[in-house]
Amino acid sequence: MEEQAAQLTQAINSIFAGAGTLLPEFLLTGFFLLLVTLDLFRSKTIKRLLPWLALTGLFSTVILQVIGPPASEGVQFLNLLRSDGLARYGSILFGVAGISTILLSLQNQKIEKRKQGEGRGEYYALLLMLVLGLNLMAKSVNLLMVFLAIEVVSIASYILTITLKEEKRAVEAGLKYVLYGTLSAGVMLYGMSFFYGLTGSLDYTLVSFWQSLLEANPLMVTVAAILVFAGFLFKISAAPFHFWAPDVYQGAPMPVVALFSTGPKMAGILVILRFVAAFADPSIAASFADIQLFLGVAALATLAVGNLTALWQRTPRRLMAFSSVSHAGFLLMALLAFGSNYTASVLFYMTVLLFMNFGLFLFLQIAEEEWQVKKLEDFQGLGKLVPFAGIMALLYLLSLTGLPPLAGFMGKLLIFSNVWEAYTSSGQTMLLVLLVAGILLTGVALFYYIKIPYYLFLKRNQTAENLVISLSNKLLLVFFGLPLLVLFFKPDLLLHWIEKLLA
Amino acid sequence: MDFILSGLIFTPLLAALVVLLMPIRLQKPMKGVALLGTLVQMALSVLLYLGFDGAAPANGQSGYQFVEKLDWISFSLGSLGRFQIEYFVGVDGVSISMVLLTGIVGVIGVISSWTITKNVKGYFLLYLLLMTSVMGCFLALDFFLFYLFFEFMLLPMYFLIGIWGGPKREYAAIKFFIYTLVGSLFILIVMIGLYTSVIDPQATAWQMNLIGQGMPADANVILQVQQMLQQGVISGADMVRTFSIPAMMEPANFIPGSLLHVLSGVTLFDLPIRFVAFLLVFAGFLIKVPSVPVHTWLPDAHVEAPTPISVLLAAILLKVGGYGLIRIVYPVFPDAGAYFATLVGGLGVLSIIYGALCALAMNDLKKLIAYSSVSHMGFVLLGLASLTAEGVNGAIYMMFSHGIISAMLFLVVGVIYDRAHDRMILNFRGLAKRMPAYTAFVVIAFFASLGLPGFSGFIAELLVLLGSFSAPEATGMLPRWLAMVAVIGILLAAAYYLWALQRMFFGKYWIFPELREKANIFDLDRREYLMLVPLAILALLFGIFPHLLLDKIGMAVTGFTELVLLNGQEQLNMVLSSIIP
Repeated sequence: MEEQAAQLTQAINSIFAGAGTLLPEFLLTGFFLLLVTLDLFRSKTIKRLLPWLALTGLFSTVILQVIGPPASEGVQFLNLLRSDGLARYGSILFGVAGISTILLSLQNQKIEKRKQGEGRGEYYALLLMLVLGLNLMAKSVNLLMVFLAIEVVSIASYILTITLKEEKRAVEAGLKYVLYGTLSAGVMLYGMSFFYGLTGSLDYTLVSFWQSLLEANPLMVTVAAILVFAGFLFKISAAPFHFWAPDVYQGAPMPVVALFSTGPKMAGILVILRFVAAFADPSIAASFADIQLFLGVAALATLAVGNLTALWQRTPRRLMAFSSVSHAGFLLMALLAFGSNYTASVLFYMTVLLFMNFGLFLFLQIAEEEWQVKKLEDFQGLGKLVPFAGIMALLYLLSLTGLPPLAGFMGKLLIFSNVWEAYTSSGQTMLLVLLVAGILLTGVALFYYIKIPYYLFLKRNQTAENLVISLSNKLLLVFFGLPLLVLFFKPDLLLHWIEKLLA
Repeated sequence: MDFILSGLIFTPLLAALVVLLMPIRLQKPMKGVALLGTLVQMALSVLLYLGFDGAAPANGQSGYQFVEKLDWISFSLGSLGRFQIEYFVGVDGVSISMVLLTGIVGVIGVISSWTITKNVKGYFLLYLLLMTSVMGCFLALDFFLFYLFFEFMLLPMYFLIGIWGGPKREYAAIKFFIYTLVGSLFILIVMIGLYTSVIDPQATAWQMNLIGQGMPADANVILQVQQMLQQGVISGADMVRTFSIPAMMEPANFIPGSLLHVLSGVTLFDLPIRFVAFLLVFAGFLIKVPSVPVHTWLPDAHVEAPTPISVLLAAILLKVGGYGLIRIVYPVFPDAGAYFATLVGGLGVLSIIYGALCALAMNDLKKLIAYSSVSHMGFVLLGLASLTAEGVNGAIYMMFSHGIISAMLFLVVGVIYDRAHDRMILNFRGLAKRMPAYTAFVVIAFFASLGLPGFSGFIAELLVLLGSFSAPEATGMLPRWLAMVAVIGILLAAAYYLWALQRMFFGKYWIFPELREKANIFDLDRREYLMLVPLAILALLFGIFPHLLLDKIGMAVTGFTELVLLNGQEQLNMVLSSIIP
């Protein structure tokens, strides 16, 4: 009895000790509750304040993470969470993604104007909840916690997808998303239960976890790992679990799509990164060659499916869906470059991806709402009518392709360098195949990304309407574009910082 | 003269910024700004040419003049050590000729663009950006910097063809873009392989505290670092990996165990991996040269591009391909260069003959000239593959001379197209009667191009053929029949030029009836004289006084051939011995 009491006290003490590092999460939860409560009032003023309140919440968490105390290496909350530099940088990224989503939503007429405040609170509250889930994903070091965090994100995602309930496409997308999502969650949970059965532990960052897996039946381990990865790959929209992406991208409101293409993808990558970190030790990696092969094939398939399918798309939203699949492929490829210190490169790539995607989705939102662009052909000649927006779109698209002088090129260069290094030291043919495929598919990528500037500038438009963009939209386009130039010419600014956080 | 190279690169960029800030209706002043920008660039390039010391020894790894070197990007990746990218520009005998050419053609291009009316602002903005990136390409000595400028050429060119081009411009623009991008991705793979394998001995010495920070390392320290590297006693964290092209030329700077080290012994498809790397980067530049069989983008791009852009494309952009081979491919992979000499020379001769035969079959005058470019660029490959001093001198001379002459040829085509909105050879006859001055310049351009003694083209072809004939004895490269076949190319050139001349210009004046309504045939105006006369004078000048250029490039070429031949043979033996256990 006394023993139990002592254990309990210890547990409670450790929870209190770790609480400090969870301040951002508490803050997000607090703002979430605040938003839900305030949404109950019918006052128009309060309703108008809601997005700004959400913005404040996200902003303060980002500030807290940037200037906060040095990251602690220790494991908190009964070995469930770890607030290290990786998690910290991750949550800064998620915070920025959340802020950008709100900024895009404020410009979005469908969300802002038509609903006249109705359902506004829940929309912004859910965004906060989603970011909270992402933060937890980045911090989890325990399979059960990973599952819970992913589910928090998923549930928020399902509802956000059908924000515009009156639209048929949105409901269809939401339904598909829920069906795929719950299925993959179930499969993942099934795999996790195998792991628990085999090792008696869910803490996959422990060496003992992998040690006991070494003693288990290898086929069993591989099957369990594939089942778990099904859930992870679903979240980052990697092949063959990407089928939800095009429909959801087509149906969900633009800001939400922009968030999906960055937030959950980045968090999923961080989860995988933590999961495969054990493979950096060659002696462990050698015993799990099958899992690596599976991941390699998945990365290759993701690259190929993303880039080649994008060629056939006729709408900008679907095009971007497959583009986002292809970026998942590049990130997955980086995660396989064991022994080459790829963490900084991956974080750099994700940062760049964040700005390019939000910038381009903002452009697509403007195009869709102001100029009624539904298909790629509708961009015809618009570049001449609104040269500023056209040039900014060109900038984002070239960065997505990975051409200098834009940060997308730097991101790809870093990842390719890591893969080359890993190939040099390990001599695995799979890495060379991935490298060559990645580089050649970049050429393919140009072919579909250039379609938008092709219609914008090369095709002529007969109508001579006078098109305008609001100043706030212009400023936002610049806001997302500037980092792409800065991070090309001075990537070391960010890399040094990442380095410091990770150290 | 301290920052003359940066001045050369950034003057057009500055002019572009001015154009960007000008309101859209000020079309004339915009043209003036563009002209001023390119004129300053030309003046600087002439100054550089005059100030360049052609007698200073150069061996490829050193001997660059007017060097500017600044730290740009530097970051560490943990145990992999530091990565360093520098703003590193310099000029040697090879680049000085290209810089001069770029300066001259840039101005001619602006004058030729004077008649542009559609979206003037965008046009000159892109034009000036293009001039910056081309110049940067010719001056960069850091591979990353080179690649940046190399890739950045694509975009302005894509829009210049795609917006201001002819009826099939969209197709031509995208074809150009895809071809060149695929080429540059090949180069990218090799660039990644190289910079992860090569260290900068100087910066590594700093990192290891062998000498004080910022102190220049003398030859002994460099040698010490290189020996320590090869013995494997430098820890990964101390290595400073670099993009510097001169550092990549020294096998001693390669990290032991890296894939591109001469002794790595790694093979891919039964070839040593260094050979595979050579083939990749060679293919990348081959597309730009262009050589048969990857030349098909060129005729399309030329036919659709507006006249000034055709001029730029033929006169300077194609030179980037040949220049890349001389600056990067051969000095970094001399072993593979020696091994594949016959392939390179063979592709050259194939281009010479195939390009000439295609030119013979063309009815469109612009296409004829485009194919003649393919044919002439074949001489560059042939001269380079011979690895003799004459051959390489000839290759560089050919690039310069072709730059001047092809600019003239495309301008000449532009003149008739402006008048008649058509350029089919069979639609015209006896133009000499109505346009005597024009005909005179056409004759000069054609004869200069087919290699008449007295014009620069003759010197170039002569040197290349001398080099490739003597190659079997002098360097052991190339079978002799290659040079003999190449001579047929000159005959064919005479055939297609003279035949075109005879069909279009001589005989009784006649033009195709359907053209008569729109056509307004008159002789050259003042603006056209302003472009054609200087080019004709230059073609003659460099044909009569070849030492004007050869004196400047001679030392660099000697250094180049020595480096490639000596190191090449030595490294080839090492590579081959390392893969056979």
